[in-house]
Amino acid sequence: MPPPAVPPKTPLPGVKHLIAIASGKGGVGKSTVAANLALALHMYGQRVGLMDADIYGPSVPMMFGLGMIDQTKTPFPVEKFGLKLMSMGFVVAADQAVIWRGPKVAQAVGAMLFQPPWGDLDFLIVDLPPGTGDAQLTLSQSAPLTGAIIVTQPAEVSLIDARKGVKMFEEVRVPILGIIENMSYLGLPDGTRLHPLGQGGGAKLAAEIGVPFLGEIPIDAQVSQCGDAGEPIVRKFPDHPISKSYLMLAQTVVNEMLKQPTNAALPDVEL
Amino acid sequence: MPEPEVRPLALKREGDGLLIDWADGIRTHTAWRTLRSQCPCATCDDERKKPANPFRVLSDREVAAGPPTPVRMKAVGAYAYQIEWNDGHSTGIYTLDALRQLGTVLPSDSPDS
Repeated sequence: MPPPAVPPKTPLPGVKHLIAIASGKGGVGKSTVAANLALALHMYGQRVGLMDADIYGPSVPMMFGLGMIDQTKTPFPVEKFGLKLMSMGFVVAADQAVIWRGPKVAQAVGAMLFQPPWGDLDFLIVDLPPGTGDAQLTLSQSAPLTGAIIVTQPAEVSLIDARKGVKMFEEVRVPILGIIENMSYLGLPDGTRLHPLGQGGGAKLAAEIGVPFLGEIPIDAQVSQCGDAGEPIVRKFPDHPISKSYLMLAQTVVNEMLKQPTNAALPDVEL
Repeated sequence: MPEPEVRPLALKREGDGLLIDWADGIRTHTAWRTLRSQCPCATCDDERKKPANPFRVLSDREVAAGPPTPVRMKAVGAYAYQIEWNDGHSTGIYTLDALRQLGTVLPSDSPDS
């Protein structure tokens, strides 16, 4: 019997930087950050893809005004607003639940990452589901991640789980590129800031683990309104203060990437 | 944050073991027998915790396989290697830290260098 084919050393040869957007906690706005950051990077002239690795609760279709996709008419990855997109929500209806055990989740994440012809990209952003489970492990083991960005809220309850996410990436030697604090404050018309979820948690976590604090994103109803309407705020209102926060964030990410190797893959073994 | 990672630059079969050149200039050699006996998978880990059984009967496959030799060794993400052995066992994922710790450091003036 012939030996099994040796897999390619770099499974995504056209992708310069593969970045995971992660958090330990759900509901911190990870998908919103991933979508807006991807668009902000694109506005900086980068070639960007966005993969929604949340098998159970995909958000990308709604945030980009898409639904189920007929592959015979529109090939994967789907292109919208200049980004290449992939999501479980393109193949499963929004009102259908995906009821799968871990191995199938891992298989689906692998398929979404490696099967579509992503082409040449400067950044492939992977929006991870919350936690430290199958999707995260599959990605860490099968793909040469350039790094991970951890999203947290300022509240301690979010930081507890964010630390677990950090720990997981340390275990699998994926560098943490930085911390983003989402829902940091509520800006009032008189210029003062309310901190309903606490203050300084993201910066504290960044200092704790010795990684850059990439920035804070305030709370604003327009962010979720734009996402629900199928056009993230960075694209719909590029001059909005929050969009400017994302553009600054994108600039920081591009600068950080200049310091990172483009290929984190380990060498082959000569047996 | 963990200590700055030490990455392997090159890995190759050398005699009855694995020779690794590390990015910090260290060269290590680990016998296949050591790597096989220290397999980090859950099954092997459990086996190591049990009292040694001097009367354990080798399976036909183990007898046929002979001394442990890797059939295949592939990278797992950016943190480990997975070894498929000639006895059919393949579930062990050896982290870079484990490979470094299991290896014997060779002198820098080794004839192999």
